[in-house]
Amino acid sequence: MKITFVLNGRSRTIDAPPLARLLDVLRGTLGLTGTKEGCGEGECGSCTVLLDGVPVNACLVAAGQCDGRTVLTVEGLENKDGLSDLQDAFVTEGGAQCGICTPGFLMAARALLAGNPQPGEGEIREGIAGNVCRCTGYQRIVESIRHAGKERASREPG
Amino acid sequence: MALVGRSVPRADGPAKVSGTAHYVDDLTRPGVLLGATLRSPVARGRLRGIRRDPAFDWAGVTVVTAEDVPVNVVALIEEDQPVLAADEIRHAYEPLALVAAEDPVRLAGALRALTPEIEPLPPVLTVADALARKAQIHGSDNIFATYRISKGDAARAIARSPVRLNGTYRTPHQEQLYIEPQGMLAFWDACGAHLQGSLQCPFYVQKGVKRTFSLDDAHVDVTQAVTGGGFGGKEEYPTLLALHALLLAKKSGQPVKMIYDRQEDIEATTKRHPCEVTIESGCDREGNLSAVSINVLMDGGAYVTLTPVVLSRGALHAAGAYRWDHVAIEAVAVATNTPPNGAFRGFGAPQTIWAIERHMDRIARELSLDPLLLREKNLLRVGDTTPTGQLLKESVGIQRCVEEAKKASGWDTKRATLGRAAPVRPVAAMQRQTAPGGSASRKARGIGASVFLHGAGFTGSGERKLKGRVAIDMFRAPSEKKPRFRIRTASTDIGQGTETVFLQIAADVLRVPMDRVEFATPSTAVVPDSGPTVASRTVMIVGSIVESAARELFARIEYERQKRGGSFDDAALRLLADQDPVVSEKTYEPPAELAWDDATYRGDAYPVFAWGCDIAEVEVDLDTFETAVLGFWAAHDVGKAIHPLMCKGQIEGGTLQAIGWALNERLVVKDGKILNARMSTYIVPTSLDAPRFTTILVEDPYSKGPGGGAKGIGELPMDGGAPAIAAAIEHATGIIRDDLPLLPEDLFAARQTGT
Amino acid sequence: MNPAEIALHPFERPASLAELCRTLSTRAVRKEKTVLLAGGTDWIVERRLAPLESPDDLPLVLDVSRLPEMRAIHVAKEHAAIGAAATFLEIKSHPVLSRRVPVLTAMAREVGAVQIQARGTLGGNLATASPAADGAAALMALDADVVLASVTGERRVPLTQFFTGYRATRRAENEAIVRVEFALPRTGAHQMWRKVGTRAAQAISKVAFAAVVELEHGRGVRAGFGMASVAPVTASLPTVRALALAPNLASVSEQELEAATRRDITPIDDLRSTAAYRAHVAVALVKCFFRSLRTAIGS
Ligand SMILES: Cc1cc2nc3c(=O)[nH]c(=O)nc-3n(C[C@H](O)[C@H](O)[C@H](O)COP(=O)(O)OP(=O)(O)OC[C@H]3O[C@@H](n4cnc5c(N)ncnc54)[C@H](O)[C@@H]3O)c2cc1C
Ligand code: FES
Ligand code: FES
Repeated sequence: MKITFVLNGRSRTIDAPPLARLLDVLRGTLGLTGTKEGCGEGECGSCTVLLDGVPVNACLVAAGQCDGRTVLTVEGLENKDGLSDLQDAFVTEGGAQCGICTPGFLMAARALLAGNPQPGEGEIREGIAGNVCRCTGYQRIVESIRHAGKERASREPG
Repeated sequence: MALVGRSVPRADGPAKVSGTAHYVDDLTRPGVLLGATLRSPVARGRLRGIRRDPAFDWAGVTVVTAEDVPVNVVALIEEDQPVLAADEIRHAYEPLALVAAEDPVRLAGALRALTPEIEPLPPVLTVADALARKAQIHGSDNIFATYRISKGDAARAIARSPVRLNGTYRTPHQEQLYIEPQGMLAFWDACGAHLQGSLQCPFYVQKGVKRTFSLDDAHVDVTQAVTGGGFGGKEEYPTLLALHALLLAKKSGQPVKMIYDRQEDIEATTKRHPCEVTIESGCDREGNLSAVSINVLMDGGAYVTLTPVVLSRGALHAAGAYRWDHVAIEAVAVATNTPPNGAFRGFGAPQTIWAIERHMDRIARELSLDPLLLREKNLLRVGDTTPTGQLLKESVGIQRCVEEAKKASGWDTKRATLGRAAPVRPVAAMQRQTAPGGSASRKARGIGASVFLHGAGFTGSGERKLKGRVAIDMFRAPSEKKPRFRIRTASTDIGQGTETVFLQIAADVLRVPMDRVEFATPSTAVVPDSGPTVASRTVMIVGSIVESAARELFARIEYERQKRGGSFDDAALRLLADQDPVVSEKTYEPPAELAWDDATYRGDAYPVFAWGCDIAEVEVDLDTFETAVLGFWAAHDVGKAIHPLMCKGQIEGGTLQAIGWALNERLVVKDGKILNARMSTYIVPTSLDAPRFTTILVEDPYSKGPGGGAKGIGELPMDGGAPAIAAAIEHATGIIRDDLPLLPEDLFAARQTGT
Repeated sequence: MNPAEIALHPFERPASLAELCRTLSTRAVRKEKTVLLAGGTDWIVERRLAPLESPDDLPLVLDVSRLPEMRAIHVAKEHAAIGAAATFLEIKSHPVLSRRVPVLTAMAREVGAVQIQARGTLGGNLATASPAADGAAALMALDADVVLASVTGERRVPLTQFFTGYRATRRAENEAIVRVEFALPRTGAHQMWRKVGTRAAQAISKVAFAAVVELEHGRGVRAGFGMASVAPVTASLPTVRALALAPNLASVSEQELEAATRRDITPIDDLRSTAAYRAHVAVALVKCFFRSLRTAIGS
């Protein structure tokens, strides 16, 4: 089936079985391997991407259901100056250790910050509760997201 | 400004946050086939054959069985484990055959079209059955290893002590659950075997490949792909997976990629050893400890893997962070027909430290002493000796850890006002408030502590035998005017930050900015054998080799500068004009005074210990027995924090694994099979389960540690979390648990039986 | 089945409810298998655990996730209708629902975590008919009706009668769930949602408890309960409900509550928990809710 969607800001049309997982289409057909697979059943959140701005597990989304929609992956996070504030915060604040969970956390955090630019600790923890990290104990991830929120606030007064 | 001691941005960070870091499943090669494993459905049996469904179209499918394996052993400590079962099957999920095909549908079909013909044998599933020799499954007695440690005369001293207490403490399996499942990409060419994979120890894998295929070093190249966590789980297991992928690649003549899915990973790969520890102690009524006798019993699973080393480390940590004049420790590991247990962060120590810490709480209870006060009274100090007779000469920061953790957590007040270790308060005293949608549960709070140590580096003479090596190259990059440096080491970065820390150490010694130093991808073809990435040895041991290699290189440049003038860079470039690259390779020199006797288990077990005090505050719902961790304070003596932020990240991550082991994780094993090999049923903590950590880095430097005194701390944080949580639950509810885990069902059951 | 095998299923996206019903009915007559796909958070996971079926015999998958007739959330003065394909995320962010039906909002907020909430739907939750379904428990407490559609029109089934056994429902092969409907609890109604799961988030219920009770002059005039994971189907706790509606509500004893709860449930041991623990928690949660009722009556 021909599936057309906007991927990281660019319209793409691919030919894929409609019940192929969005995850496999991204990693295989489209060669975007930044989205990771940790469990394949919606538990770990490593495969998180944004579908119409909302975080979803790409391992549980049928590619055919993405027709006509927008998808954002970790590869679409950078801006013209390079790493976004959020990505940068994960580097400087210790949000990534082994890094396998990181793209998923970045996508969940991106959606959280879009709706709530300066979330409190509890809101951050709830926003990333669908992402499992076995390395960090979460604290540095929470700090990275908080830091990114603050950075943005300090640059966009009001 | 010095880099060591500063939390510089992680060197591998940008690739990891942009999705460009390549893990094994992100790699491919032209013509790559996918590989899969046919596994045993039974715990023990005899393999009579493997039937291939003649109706299946086998074209393009490669099948490998034991007959295809040149030397059918996995070369680890012992060679008891076959690459593919040939005759006796010793555990469920044991690999029986391999298949490769071009696409996943064909692959799954081929796997289903293979049927193993197995004659089942009665399995030995418990430690008790193994000891009773219900069936003979290893050697003559089913025992993998035994260690004895003794100091003074424990039996006599206990008999003469005014207060004698004993207890038995059990800990279950634990799954590493790194988020990236195991995977390997293999191919052959004229140069020999090539592997890229998710792994901790490239030279372990190389050793196994050399043995099975009778190859030499030059013909086996093992390269680490970016690795998504290991925690010990990718220490020995990747060797087996590498052999499987290579066998398929050899037979098919094509590259082969094998990526486990989560269920296969949980079922087939190694876990933490279940353990039972029995302790008898003697002390006086003021709580001055005198003597302890400890029996450690571990379940090794079906094959030896690393069990003897795990058991040894467990035994060496069993007496805890305390002064005992008399110690007797006996540790035994047995074989059972369950999937092999192996390395997992802490390596036996979390099991025995759980036991001694629970036992310390038992003593405190018996004597009505504050549990931390009892511990403080008996802490090891400089000048004391450990159970192996090791004299502690320096860097014993435990007293400060306890003080800092107490202060930060408000221990004294909370201990006095929370919990009271009283039985559940009567219904009359309950809170009564229900907001719409809310609940009026009864809750109790408590606070608990643990104190622990962890030996850094290999045990005993391990480092002396290993002779770890590191090289640093100075070279000129084509478009650059200044020399660059490259660290070559087999120490892998599996998330802990090896790369960044080594760059910091080398750049400081060489007095260059960090961006002029790079970290070679660990590949056996390129790097010298620095030893495995295990045993909290990377920063302290390998880091010190990096430091000395950098020092030597610096001295050579400095000598040239003094001789012929100019700047440091001028001198470096003059050297490079003669010879490019300039290489400094160093071998680890263990401190000369360290003495260890493997036969008697006496002497300096470790060059130095890292120390820690954990304090947990919990709230237990008295209706549902759910435990929420409200606060967690970890004060750890790390010697010197080379990168404070990553150091804290290690402590927090390790501690949460310990908390998960206590409060969430439970591996259900029945008839030798794992019933909950999924992330929806093997439960690890999420961000909402994790507490906010207060992590305090105590620095009592180790004179021979790199960067001004760093000690290994990779495993330390796994040791203290579980006993601190158990103590806090006890304080809150009065429920005393000697066994892990502490799931709501366990607390409920304990409450019912009044134990 | 592995993901590549799942990808072999035929797939269609009907443009309207009418088209969906036509396809369902034609296929039902021909005895061809059809499944509806909403968020996929149950179906894809279950499919992965299922053994391979012959590729010629795979069911047709019909995507209902964007059918306008199933997407809407309508809240009228005394009545609410929630489309079967509305997601938990949409439910939890609905301002009126969160004011009037906090039991539902609280439930939606605790389903999985945000990624699952963004995909999971009430239709899927009810159709799967897992005893652990949180949505079913909350809707049970609201005395909701399930509205089913087919080529012959709509019919309603009270949720208390919808489940016929473990993972079985009254939905016929040719029917789709279009929406659920329930009378809004009046302002000030006592509502409780308490999920005791395997962990704080991303958890399946060991026990989940939903309650909606309206009081008038110290008596219960509306009462509904739902409990997950304590019986083969979502438990509606009829005996407990009778106690809530009894004239002597203020003086119902703890013993009566315990006995009633135990009569209404048949918990089992499984991978997630034990029967004994589940029964204990079920009783504790019921008692806890009744304490709040008694307090309300007393004050
Ligand atoms: C990680 C994870 C966490 C979860 N956590 C929870 C939780 O906390 N609580 C909980 O209750 N559940 C949970 N679930 C289960 C699941 O998310 C819910 O049951 C969800 O409501 C299913 O909805 P769906 O739209 O995804 O269903 P789908 O998977 O799309 O469909 C499920 C079934 O319903 C049928 N169906 C779908 N829509 C209709 C319709 N309109 N008419 C008739 N049949 C239909 C399908 O044919 C299929 O058989 C979790 C699942 C995962 C993977
Ligand atoms: S891979 Fe999708 S949630 Fe784990
Ligand atoms: S950084 Fe390794 S799993 Fe999160």
